[in-house]
Amino acid sequence: MAGIRIEHVTKSYGGLSVLKDFSLDIADGEFVVLVGPSGCGKSTMLKILAGLEEASSGKVTIGERDVTDLSPGDRDIAMVFQNYALYPHLTVRKNMGFGLKMRGTEAAEIERRVTEAARILAIDHLLDRRPRALSGGQRQRVALGRAIVREPLAFLMDEPLSNLDAKLRVHTRAEISALHKRLGVTTIYVTHDQTEAMTMADRIVIMKDGEIQQIAHPDLMFREPANLFVAGFIGSPGMNFLQSPVADTGGRAQVRLFGQDVTLPVPLAALPGKDVIVGLRPEHIMAGPGAVSFEVQPRLVESLGSEQYVYVDLPPENRVGQARNGASDEDGRGNSLIARLISPDGRAFGERLTLSFDPARLHVFDAVTQEAIR
Amino acid sequence: MRRRPRDSILLYAAVIATCAILVFPIYWLVVTALSEPDQLRQLPPKFWPDQPRWHVFGEIMAERPILLWLGNSALAAIGAVTLSMTVSVLAGYSLSRFRVRGGPSLGLFILTAKMLPATLLVIPLFGIFRQLELIGSLWSIILAHATLIIPFTTWMLKGYFDTIPRELEQAAMIDGCSPLGAMVRVILPVSAPGLAATALYGFVLSWSDYAYARTFLTNAQSNWTANLGITTMKGEYVSNWSDISAASILVALPILLIYLFLERYLVGGLTAGAEK
Repeated sequence: MAGIRIEHVTKSYGGLSVLKDFSLDIADGEFVVLVGPSGCGKSTMLKILAGLEEASSGKVTIGERDVTDLSPGDRDIAMVFQNYALYPHLTVRKNMGFGLKMRGTEAAEIERRVTEAARILAIDHLLDRRPRALSGGQRQRVALGRAIVREPLAFLMDEPLSNLDAKLRVHTRAEISALHKRLGVTTIYVTHDQTEAMTMADRIVIMKDGEIQQIAHPDLMFREPANLFVAGFIGSPGMNFLQSPVADTGGRAQVRLFGQDVTLPVPLAALPGKDVIVGLRPEHIMAGPGAVSFEVQPRLVESLGSEQYVYVDLPPENRVGQARNGASDEDGRGNSLIARLISPDGRAFGERLTLSFDPARLHVFDAVTQEAIR
Repeated sequence: MRRRPRDSILLYAAVIATCAILVFPIYWLVVTALSEPDQLRQLPPKFWPDQPRWHVFGEIMAERPILLWLGNSALAAIGAVTLSMTVSVLAGYSLSRFRVRGGPSLGLFILTAKMLPATLLVIPLFGIFRQLELIGSLWSIILAHATLIIPFTTWMLKGYFDTIPRELEQAAMIDGCSPLGAMVRVILPVSAPGLAATALYGFVLSWSDYAYARTFLTNAQSNWTANLGITTMKGEYVSNWSDISAASILVALPILLIYLFLERYLVGGLTAGAEK
C-alpha cells in the first residue's frame, strides 16, 4: 500500500486541453472518488495514473517512487475496467493469476492467492469457467479478484458498476466499500454517479472541463459546496437555484423569493451590491407552514412511496439559467423548484400546497463568478 | 411474422435456382471426368454416363505427377500465407490501434494496392525476381502471392482487431505485459477465429493462382503448381477433356473440403471482423 501524489498534471490533444493543472495528494489507504459529468477528464486522469496515457506535463508519485515515465506493468497498481476486460480465452482461475504469472510468481503461490481471493469474493465455484459463462455480476467479481490477487500498491477503478443493473449496483457498491475496509488498499475510483461518490468515498474530487472544482469529504461537500456546479451536481435531486438581487435592510442582506423578503445567512459585507443565486436543497423544503412559507400550485408530483418529489414553477423574477446537476437547461428545470417531501400524507396532484423552508438552510452564490459566498 | 405460402414458394424457387447455377459447373466437371471422350460431343448430351470411368483418377495420377503438383501448390500456399499473416497481423494491429501521423493515408495506400489487378504486377515482379535469381523457384510465387494476399488480409485483420476492446490489452499491460506481449498473449488468442478465416482466405487466393505460376515457373517442371500442371494436359490439336476434368477435380478437392467443413467457421470469422 502507498500514498499517491499527483502534481500539476496536464493533458492536451493538439489544441484541446482535457486536464488542466491537476494536483492531488492521496493518503495511504484512502478511498478517493473522481466524479464529474462525461468529458470532464476523470477517466483520462485515471489512465495517466495507470500509465495507459502519457501526461503532457506534471509528475505522478506512487509511494515514494516517481512513476511518471514507467510503463503500466512497472507501477504495481491494479485496475478494474468499466467493461471488466476479462481475457475471454482464459478461465477465471487463469484470468486472476495472469498478472502474477507475468511477474514470475511460483505456480503454488499463484494458486494460493487465487484461491484466497476467490474465497473472499465468493467466486471459488466459478474458477474453472470462462468469462462468457458468467453473469454480469460474476464477471465484475472476477475483475475485482484479478485486481486483489496482485496485492498492489493501489486499486484504480473506472466506473466498475456502470454495467450492472440498479439492484446489483447497490449491492456491489457496498461490497467494494467493505472490501476496501478489509484490505485497506489505496483506491482511486472514477464515476459519473454522485450517489456512488457520496456513499463510497473518504474524499470526493469533483471535476468539470478538466479542472478540479472541489476536494472534500462527501458530507462537507454536500453541506458546503464550493460553487454552483458542485451544488448542482452533488445531491439527488440536485439543489434548487433561485436568482434575486440583494437588498440592504437595516444592515442585513435580504433577497426576494416567492414574493417574500428573506434574510440571507451571510453577512451583508460579503455581498456588496451583487446579484446572487440562492440555493435550496429539495430535502430542506417542508410541507406546511414554517419560517418562510409560500403557497404553490404543483406542476407535477412524483411519488416514490416513502417520499414525493413536488415540482413547482418558479416566479419569473427568481428564474435562473442554471440547471441542476450541471446539465444544460434544455428541459427547463432551471425554471422550476423541486421539493422532496418525506412521509407524504396522500396529497393529491392539482391541489394547492403550502411549502416552507428555514432561511438558515440557504446557500448563497455569486451570480457572476458562481462561487459560494459564506 | 409468418411468411405467406406464395412467398415461401418464390423464395425456395430462387434459392434452388441460385444453387443450381452455382453447383452445375461442378456437376458437369464430374460428368465430363467420368464420361468416355467420344460421349462428350454427343447431342443431346448425356447427363450421367452409362458406364462411369471411376478408374480415370488412378490413371491420370499414374500418368502425371499430380501429387507433386499438389504438393508444390500446398507449399506455395502455406509459404505465402505464413509470410502474409506475419506481416498483416502486425500491420493490421498497428492500423487498428496506433494513431500515427500518416497512418490513415498508409492504410488507404494498402487499400489501393488491393485494387490493382494481379496481372498488372506480373512484369515488374518478373524483373525483380530475375535480378534476385528466383525465376523457376517456388520462392518466386510465395513472394508474388504475398503481394496479393497482404493488402486483403491486412484490412480484414484491421477490421477484426477494431472489434476487440482496447481495454483487453490495457488490462494485460497493467498485468505486466509489454505492448507486443499484450498482443501476442491476449489479442491474438482472442482473434483466433478471425486469424483462421483470414489465413484460409489467403490460402485459397494462392491455391487458385495461374498467372504468376505460368510466368515464373514454366521452365522448372519439378516446381509446377497444380493449376499450371493441368494446363499442360491440353494438347495443341487434341485435348482429352475427361482427363483434364479428372485432374481439375483432384486440384479443387482440397479447397472444396476446406469450405465444406469450415464454412460456418469461415463466415462467422469474416462477419465478426467486418462489423464494427
